Amino acid sequence: MSEPVIKIKDLTFTYPAGVTALREINLEINKGEVLAVIGQNGSGKTTLVKHFNGLLKPSRGNVLVNNNNTKKFTTAQLSRTVGYVFQDPDDQIFMSKVYKEIEFGPKNLGLKGSELKRSVKEALEIVGLWDLRRKHPLDLNLNEKKLIAISSIIAMKPEVIILDEPTTGQDHHGVKKVESLINELSRNHTIIVISHNMDLVSRVASRVIVMYDSRILFQGTPKKVFVKNALLNKTYLKPPPIARLAQSIKGFKRDVLTIDEFIDELISNKSRSSKSH
Amino acid sequence: MAIVEFKNFSWNYSGYRSKVLRNINLSINKGEFFGIIGGVGSGRTTFCSAIMGLVPHLYPGNIDGELIVDGLNTEKSSMSDLSTRVGLIMQSPDTQLTGAGMNVEEELSFGLENLGTPRKEMIKRVKKMIKLIGLESFKYRNPFELSGGQQQKVAIASVLIMQPEILVLDEPTAQLDPLGTTLVFNLIKKLARKGITIILNTQKIDYLAEFADRVAILNDNEIRKVGKTREVLTDINLLKKNRIISSDFTQLSNELINRKLYKGALCMTLNDAKEMISKVKRG
Repeated sequence: MSEPVIKIKDLTFTYPAGVTALREINLEINKGEVLAVIGQNGSGKTTLVKHFNGLLKPSRGNVLVNNNNTKKFTTAQLSRTVGYVFQDPDDQIFMSKVYKEIEFGPKNLGLKGSELKRSVKEALEIVGLWDLRRKHPLDLNLNEKKLIAISSIIAMKPEVIILDEPTTGQDHHGVKKVESLINELSRNHTIIVISHNMDLVSRVASRVIVMYDSRILFQGTPKKVFVKNALLNKTYLKPPPIARLAQSIKGFKRDVLTIDEFIDELISNKSRSSKSH
Repeated sequence: MAIVEFKNFSWNYSGYRSKVLRNINLSINKGEFFGIIGGVGSGRTTFCSAIMGLVPHLYPGNIDGELIVDGLNTEKSSMSDLSTRVGLIMQSPDTQLTGAGMNVEEELSFGLENLGTPRKEMIKRVKKMIKLIGLESFKYRNPFELSGGQQQKVAIASVLIMQPEILVLDEPTAQLDPLGTTLVFNLIKKLARKGITIILNTQKIDYLAEFADRVAILNDNEIRKVGKTREVLTDINLLKKNRIISSDFTQLSNELINRKLYKGALCMTLNDAKEMISKVKRG
């Protein structure tokens, strides 16, 4: 059993305007997992993850990051451990050169000289944009801007990386790139991804939590979560397309998520039914 | 009958060397549901802005050729003339919402007030729209305090309430959850049935597969293909060449054909796929 990197105990959060966005959340996030947070708009997903790097502090209850209570630390301190990639890269990008954009975070953390150079280079190489380092970030296309936003967080080497809707506004190429990047990053980081893209979630997540009406409604592996149709309906979520097809076919296993799994199940289903005749 | 006609249309934003739209020739018919797909940075948003007249009236640059919308040449007509015919729903609700209203009801009334709509009619339309889009539970909230997806619903409602003849939607569901997305697409379909011309730019080809009459691929600033939805969306090689990933159902049927488990046409929708599987199971 791996050690939790984030522990959330009885977390309730009410915005100053009086809207309670989180109610009695209890959750432990383990080192090395890829945790997907799904749920409809306004269910509390972004509010929850903003507690992990101290952008928000609990109204009641506690959030512990590596056993440090977020109430006692600033976002600047917590961001050494937890990096947050915003949904809209334009909210995040502000320097005039890609290289400077990536350098900003680690420089602020006190990195200098060859160590600074190395971490900028690594962060740009992992997203595949080293060649664009002299460009102005705002001259890049949306796919590239998203990768720059992710890269600038990677450069600070946080233990945990939060990706808030990483595929919004991305074309098919961009979605694939984000998917392979999550897989790559998950080898050395804990990843928390908020997404409406159930296809992506079914392929990258080791655990899914489903938020509904400011609470965690249920959680489990993608295979466990995407067969719970009644609960998903209640939260207005739908399983990915292949899962929906599989679930509509009589005699099929219900937890089929990918095309390969579907074909395997189709072949074994055919041989099962030919034996029974 | 063509209601939107691009005639050898090109657009160059001031200060940029290359054209964002190059030699576009395209007719969209009245009442048609027309889909646009393509990569990022291909000019799809500019394409949408041009129909509304934002290009050239709001952004500086040069037009070659012409664009005729409901009989009006967009370059020679004012935006206020165009705005009675075309509604544009943008990607981000932040750019769309006026902030003029203190709550959702007031935000929705803003456009109608500007047109001098009688109060009674205005209240009726606002009420209907709130019900249609499902805004009841937050109609008295400030739009800017809502979540991203809820804001987008308000933004869509604020355009629909003007009852435009042509509705241009630029990635309208990019920030919406699956329910919001389905709801918006069902709504768009309903509007299409009423005869409103729909021009929809989206990455969600599953939804285009269900709803669109025709689809165009706009890639690298040029139109690469225009055709019937099924013809375009099941052409795996064409899509691949344009860096577009075909739907899971198309991929599944292609894979089954490759493995000689299925002989037949490529699938596009869930229903196609269900039929295919029952054939495969029988065969």
